Amino acid sequence: MHLERRNSHQDLLGQIHAAADLLPSQGPISAFAFLNPLQGLESLPFDEAMRQAKHIYGCEPYLDEVRYLAKVRSGRISLEDLRCVNARDLGPDASRLIAGLVSVERFRMQLLANSIHCGVDRELDWLLAETHALRRFRVDVPSPIKAAMLEETQNWLTKQCMTDQQGSALPREIQEVLGGHSKHSIEKWRDAEWEAACLELLWNVIKRGITAAYIPADVPEAIRHRDLLRTVSAVDCDQWVHEILVRYCAAYLDQGFAHWTLPDRDQGFFRAFCSYYQHPGILSKSWCRNLRGELKRIVASGMTSLDSIEESLCMLGIAPYEAHDFILSTLLALRGFSGMIWQTEIRPDRVYVGSPPGTLVDYLAVRLILDRLALSYCALETLQYDGPLSELRPYLSSLTSGAPTVTAEQQAYTVFQVAQLSNWSPQRLAALTLDQWSELSTELTRFSSLERRRIYHSAYERQLHNRVLDAIGQRARQPMLRPENPRFQIVCCIDAREESFRRHLEELDDDIETFGIAGFFGIPMYYKGAADAHFASLAPIVVTPKHWVAEEVVYSFEDADRNRARARRIIGSTSRSLHVGTRGSLVGAILSTLFGPLVTVPLLSRVLFPRLAGALNRSARQFVAPPAVTRLHVERASEVAPADSDEGLGFTIGEMVELAGRALRDIGLVKNFAKLVLFMGHGSSCLNNPHESAYHCGACSGSPGGPNARALAAMLNDPRVRRQLNDQGISIPESTFFLGGLHNTATEEITFYDLELLPSSQIAGLRWARKKLTEVAERNAHERCRRFESAPLTLSAHEALLHVQGRTEDLAQTRPEYGNSTNALCFVGRRSRIRGLFLDRRSFLMSYDPTLDDGKATNLSRILNAVIPVCEGINTLYSFSAMDASGWGSGTKLPHNVTSLLGVMDGAASDLRTGIPWQGVDIHEPLRLLFVIESHPQQLMAILEANPVLSRICRNQWSHLAILDPASAAIYQFIDGQFVPYDLGKNELAKATSSADWYQGRRDHLPFARIEPS
Amino acid sequence: MTEFIDSFLYVSGLVVVLCPIVLLTVIGILPLLGLRLSERTITYLTQTSVSIGWCASVLIIAVMWSFDIFKYPLSIGNWVEIPQEHFHLETKFVFDRLSLPFLILTYTLCGVIGAFATRYLHRDEGYYRFFLFYAMFYLGMILSSLAGTIETLFLGWELVGLSSALLVAFFHTRKNPVRNGLRVWTVYRISDGAFLLAALAMHHLTGAGDFEILMGAEPWPEGVASCTSGQAFAVGLLLLVAAAGKSALVPFSGWLPRAMEGPTPSSAVFYGALSVHLGAFLLLRVSPLLDHSWQLRWVVISLGGVTAVFSAMTSRVQTDVKSGLAFASLTQVSIIVVEIGLGWRYLALCHIVGHVCMRTLQLLRAPSVLKDYHAMENAMGEHLRLPTGFSDHWISTRWRNWFYRLAMERGTLDTFLDVFVVGPFIAVFQWSDRNERRWNAFLAGEKTRVASTTDGKPKESEKT
Repeated sequence: MHLERRNSHQDLLGQIHAAADLLPSQGPISAFAFLNPLQGLESLPFDEAMRQAKHIYGCEPYLDEVRYLAKVRSGRISLEDLRCVNARDLGPDASRLIAGLVSVERFRMQLLANSIHCGVDRELDWLLAETHALRRFRVDVPSPIKAAMLEETQNWLTKQCMTDQQGSALPREIQEVLGGHSKHSIEKWRDAEWEAACLELLWNVIKRGITAAYIPADVPEAIRHRDLLRTVSAVDCDQWVHEILVRYCAAYLDQGFAHWTLPDRDQGFFRAFCSYYQHPGILSKSWCRNLRGELKRIVASGMTSLDSIEESLCMLGIAPYEAHDFILSTLLALRGFSGMIWQTEIRPDRVYVGSPPGTLVDYLAVRLILDRLALSYCALETLQYDGPLSELRPYLSSLTSGAPTVTAEQQAYTVFQVAQLSNWSPQRLAALTLDQWSELSTELTRFSSLERRRIYHSAYERQLHNRVLDAIGQRARQPMLRPENPRFQIVCCIDAREESFRRHLEELDDDIETFGIAGFFGIPMYYKGAADAHFASLAPIVVTPKHWVAEEVVYSFEDADRNRARARRIIGSTSRSLHVGTRGSLVGAILSTLFGPLVTVPLLSRVLFPRLAGALNRSARQFVAPPAVTRLHVERASEVAPADSDEGLGFTIGEMVELAGRALRDIGLVKNFAKLVLFMGHGSSCLNNPHESAYHCGACSGSPGGPNARALAAMLNDPRVRRQLNDQGISIPESTFFLGGLHNTATEEITFYDLELLPSSQIAGLRWARKKLTEVAERNAHERCRRFESAPLTLSAHEALLHVQGRTEDLAQTRPEYGNSTNALCFVGRRSRIRGLFLDRRSFLMSYDPTLDDGKATNLSRILNAVIPVCEGINTLYSFSAMDASGWGSGTKLPHNVTSLLGVMDGAASDLRTGIPWQGVDIHEPLRLLFVIESHPQQLMAILEANPVLSRICRNQWSHLAILDPASAAIYQFIDGQFVPYDLGKNELAKATSSADWYQGRRDHLPFARIEPS
Repeated sequence: MTEFIDSFLYVSGLVVVLCPIVLLTVIGILPLLGLRLSERTITYLTQTSVSIGWCASVLIIAVMWSFDIFKYPLSIGNWVEIPQEHFHLETKFVFDRLSLPFLILTYTLCGVIGAFATRYLHRDEGYYRFFLFYAMFYLGMILSSLAGTIETLFLGWELVGLSSALLVAFFHTRKNPVRNGLRVWTVYRISDGAFLLAALAMHHLTGAGDFEILMGAEPWPEGVASCTSGQAFAVGLLLLVAAAGKSALVPFSGWLPRAMEGPTPSSAVFYGALSVHLGAFLLLRVSPLLDHSWQLRWVVISLGGVTAVFSAMTSRVQTDVKSGLAFASLTQVSIIVVEIGLGWRYLALCHIVGHVCMRTLQLLRAPSVLKDYHAMENAMGEHLRLPTGFSDHWISTRWRNWFYRLAMERGTLDTFLDVFVVGPFIAVFQWSDRNERRWNAFLAGEKTRVASTTDGKPKESEKT
C-alpha cells in the first residue's frame, strides 16, 4: 500500500514536471530572457507544434487570414509563391479531382488567392439577408465567366420550364427560385432578375448538396470542468479563483515591494496558504465560505500537497490517463504566475527571493482546492447541481452540444463563392451525386482555416527567403571586399541592430573592417560595476557563468570613491525614505503638503522638455558617480578557485588565453590585425519602461555587454596572453591595441573603457576612429528614424540623432527603440562576401571564416551551438509576440502594472504577462529566421548529426537553413532534411549609391540592395 | 477702472469655461459626421484648448490677486424660473480662493497628461476614444471646480464620473476592465443619488441651488451657513455620502484599486490625482455647513480617520505598483477629509494641491519602479531589506497575521457591499418581479405561472 502510494506520487510528480516544461519560460522581467515561447514543443515539427499550440495554449498560431489576404493583395505574398508552396505541400495528391469538378490544387488555390468570406457566427445570416450576396455576382468574377454561367442557367431554366409542363415535376431548387411567379413569366425577366435567379439557384443547389453530405469535424472536448461549465452556465469560475490566486501568488513571489510580507512564507506555498486562510471572523465571498473548513480538514489529516492533489483529482473524477492533460491545462489557466513560480524554483539564482523545490506542486494543490470549491458552488447556484463533483463533467457534457467550428451553411457559402469564381453552373452542380458532395465537403473540412494559414505563412516566408538568397547569391558572385590594411577593426555584437551600424561604417571608409560576434564576446561571467550592489550574469541565458569579475576604482582615487559612495548611500537612503514616506500616512501628509507643489518642476520638465531634463539629471548625477578611472579585476591567481570574493575574482592567464584565443578564432581575426581593434558591446537606455532589459544585449541575459568587451580587450592587451597566443599561432603585432567600448543602441552614444591606458602612439588613430563613429551615429540614427512614425521623414541626420536621444529621455515614450524587431535572417560567414549589401537591419551577422577552420568544422560547430539557439530564441519570441500580441506577447504596454518586482500585469489584476509588448513588435514580420551559413553541406550535416539541439531546431523547421558555398556563389537550401541546390533568381540586385539614398523617404520593409558608392 | 476689470474678468472667465466645451464639441461631433481626425490634429486641438484656458486662468488669478478681489461670480443666466414657487435654476461660476487653485491645478495637470498621452498612446487604436473621454473629463473638472450652484456642480460631477468609468473600461476587449468599469460606475451612481437628494433638499430649503444662499455670500472660506443645525446635518450627510463615493472613502474604497485598468496616464490623473479629490473638494465647498453642526463634523472626522487607518494598512501589503499607489493616495485623501472635519480648510487646500502634484508624477512614473529599486539598491550597496511590518513587540503574531489577511482582502469591503447592499437590492427586485408576474397572471385571468427565479441569479453570482 505504502509503496503503491509512493509510486503514484512519483507518477504524479513526473506529470507535473512534464507539464511545467510547457509553461512560459520567461523569468524575472528585469533580466529579460529571449527563449522560444514554444520551447516545450520544439521536439515536434513546426507546423505540427503550431496545431498543438492552438489547442494547448488557446493562442493564435500564424496570423489571421484577413491579414494574410491583405498581404496577398499588396503583393507581399505573391500568387507564384502560393502556387509553389501549395503544390509542394500537396505533392502527388495535387492533381486528384474533387467531385469531378476541379483538381485539389486548383480548388485550394481558389480558396487561397481570393478573399472568400466564410462568415463567422451570425455574420453569414446578415450577409445573406442584408447584402447583395445572393443577387449579384462577386465583383471579382471575370465577366466571361459571369456571362457563360448566366447563359447556361438561362438555357437550362427555360428548357426545364418549357419541356416539363407539370409544375410539380420541376426540381425543388427551381421551384424555390420561381417562387410565386408562374414559370412563363421568366421570359420577361430582365438581366438583373436573371442574375439574381442564377445565384439563388446556385445557392440552393449548393446548400442542399452540402447539407446532405456534411459531417462536422471533431471538436476535442474541453478537459477542464470550468470550460464546460462556462459553456453551459455562462459563469466563469476561474475568474473567482484567480482573484484569490493572483493576489496570493503575487504576495508569495514578492521580491520586496510590499512593506509587509506574507506570514509563514518560509513554510512553503501550500502551508502558508493554509495558515493564511485559518483566520476566523473575516467575511469571505460566498463561493469560498467552505474554504477555511476544507483547509482545516487537510491540515488536520496531515496531507502533503501531493496527497491533496491526488485527492482533488480523485474528487474531480480525473482518470489516470487524462491526468497529464488535465494538470497541464490547469497550470496553463494562470500560466504567467505558474511559469514564474516554476522559474523561481528551478533558477533561484536569477531572483533575490527564490522558491524552494516543490513550490509548483504546492501551487497546483492550492489551485485544485479552490477550483473544487468554485465548481461545486457554481454548479449548485446556476444549475442546481448538487451531485458529486466527479460526476459533474459527464453531466455537463450531456448538456452541451459540441458546436462545430464550421457549420454546413458556412461550408456551403464557401463553395458558393468558389463556384462563382470557377464557373460551376447550377446545372452542373445539380448533377452531383451525394458522394461527390461529400468529397467537396470533406476537402473543405480538411483544408481548414488553420491549414490555409499554414500555406499562407510558408508563402509569406518563401518570398522573403528567396529575396535573401538572391541578394546574397548575387553579391557572392562579385568579388570579396576586405581591406588590405584596415585603419581600424571593430567587433560588434551579432545583433540585427548592429547591421546598419557596421554597414554605415564600411560605407564611410573602405579601410574599416567590421566583425560580428555573440555579444558576450565569448566571456561568460558574473559582473559587478563600481557603483553596483550585485553581480549580474553576463552570458546567454542557457549558460551559467563560472567566473566573477568586478570593476574597481583605481587606487589613486580610492578616497574620492569612498566619499562618493557615501554620498550615493545618503542619496539612496533618502530616496528610499521618500519613497516609503510619500506612500505612508502622516509622513506622507507632511511631505506632500510642504513639498508636493515643488514636484511640478520635475513633472513639467520631464513631460514637456524631456531632453533638457535628462541632460540636467545626468550632469547632476556626475557629482556622485564613481571616479572615471576604474579597472576590471580580470586576473586571478591560478591557485584560487573562482568565487565572488575579492580573491576569487577574474580568470587565470591560462583561462584568458583559452577564451580570448577562441573568440579570435571564431570570428576569423587571427592575422592582418589593424593597429586599433575595437570591441563594441551594446546596451540601451530608456525611461519608464519595465521591459527595458529586453532592449539590452540578448546574449548577456538582458544586460549591457560592455564589460565583456572590456574584459576581452584587457585580456588581449596582456603581453603574457599575447605570448601564449603567439605560440598557438595567433601572432598579434606589438603595435596593435585592443579597446573595449559600449554602443548605446537607443541614443547611439559610444563610450570607451580604459582610455587612460591608451599608448600615445594610438591617439591619432583613435581620434580618427571616433570621428568616423560620431558620423556613423548620426547616419545610423537617421536610418532608424525612418521606422518611427512620430519622426518626420524629412529629418536631417543630426536632427535624427537628437530625435532618438529625445526618445530615451521621454517619460511617455513607449518605443524608445525597436530592438531586434524585423529580424529575418542570420548570416554566418565572412563579412567580405556580403560587404556592401543593404540588409535593412534585418540580419544577425556572425563572422566566421571557413578557410581557417579544420575539416570537421570545429569552429563552426562551436559557433552554431551558441548562435542558432540564441538567434532562434530571439526570433521566435518576436514572431510569436507579433502573431498574437495578447496571446503570446504581453499585449499593449499602456495598462501594464509592475507586480512583485518580477513581472507585469494588465491593469489592476491579471495574470503575469510574458513575451514582448505590442509596441515592440508592431512593425515586425512574424517569420522564422533563415540561417545562411558559409560552409559545405557535408560539414553542416555532420554538425547537425552531432548536436541534438541544432538538429531539433533545423530539422523541425523552427528556423530555416541555407548554405553558401565558401568558394563559389552556389547556395543550398535545407529542405526536408537535405541540402537542395537553390536557383538564383534572374532579377538583377538593385543598386544604390548609399544606404541613405536607398531608404530615404520610405517607412516600410525595403528590398535588399547593393550599395556601391559612385 | 472697476468696470474694465469686471469686463476683463467676465471675458477671461468665459474663455476658461468655453475652452473645454469647444474641445469636447469638436472632438465629440466630428466623428459623428464621419470625419476621422489624425493624431496630430487631436494633439493640436487639445494643446491649444488647454494652453488658452491655462493662460486665461493665470490672468484671472493675477488680476484678482492684484486688485484684492476675493470672489468673482460669473452668471450665465437663469435657465428656469418659477417665481411663484421661488424656484430658479441658474448656471453660475464662482472664482474664489477655493476654485482658483483647483482651476489652475486642473489646467496644469490636464495639459501635462494631454502631452504625455499624445506620445504614450501613439498608434494605439483607441487614441481617438481616449482623447474624447479626456475632453469630457477635462470639461467635467472645470465645471466642478468653478461651480457656483449645486446643479452646475452636478453636471461637472457627472461628466467626471462618466468619463472615469469609460476610461476604466478603456480596454473593452478584455473582461476585467469592463467589469471594473461597471463597478466604478455603480458606486458613482450611489453617490450621485445622494448628491441629487442633497440638491433637492437644498432647493427645498432655500429655493435655489446657489451655494451663496445656503453658505452665505462672503468669499470662501468665511461663509456662514443660513440654516439650522439639523438641516445642515441632513444635507451635509447626503453630501458626505456623495463625497465618500467619489473619494473612495470607507465603505466604497474597493473601487479605487480596481480603477487602475486604463492606460497609465488616465489612472494617474483620475484616480491618483484629480477626480479622487473631488469628494474632498465638495466638502470644502460646503464647509460652512460643518461649522453649523458638530455632529456632522464628527461624522466627517471619523469617516476620514477610519479610511486613513484602513488604507494605510492596506497599502502596506500591496505587491503591485498601481494598487500600492491607489491606497497611498486614498490615505492622503482621507487625511485631507479629517483636516476638513477639523476645520483646517487652508491646510486641507494646500494638502490637496501638494498631494495631487506629487501623486500624478508618481503614477506616471509607476512603470519605472524596477529601475528605481535597482538604483536605490546600487546606491545603498545592498538589497533593500524586506521590511518586517508590524513589530512583534506590541501585537501577537496571530493578530498580526489576522490584520495581514484583512489588509490583503482589502478590508473585505467589496464583499461587504455585495452581501449587504447589492444582495438586498437584488432580493427586493426579484421579489417584485415575482409579484408582478403573479399579478399580471392574476389580472389576465391565467393560472399562476411559476415565475422564473433563476433570471437574476447568474448576475448575482457574477458580482459576488
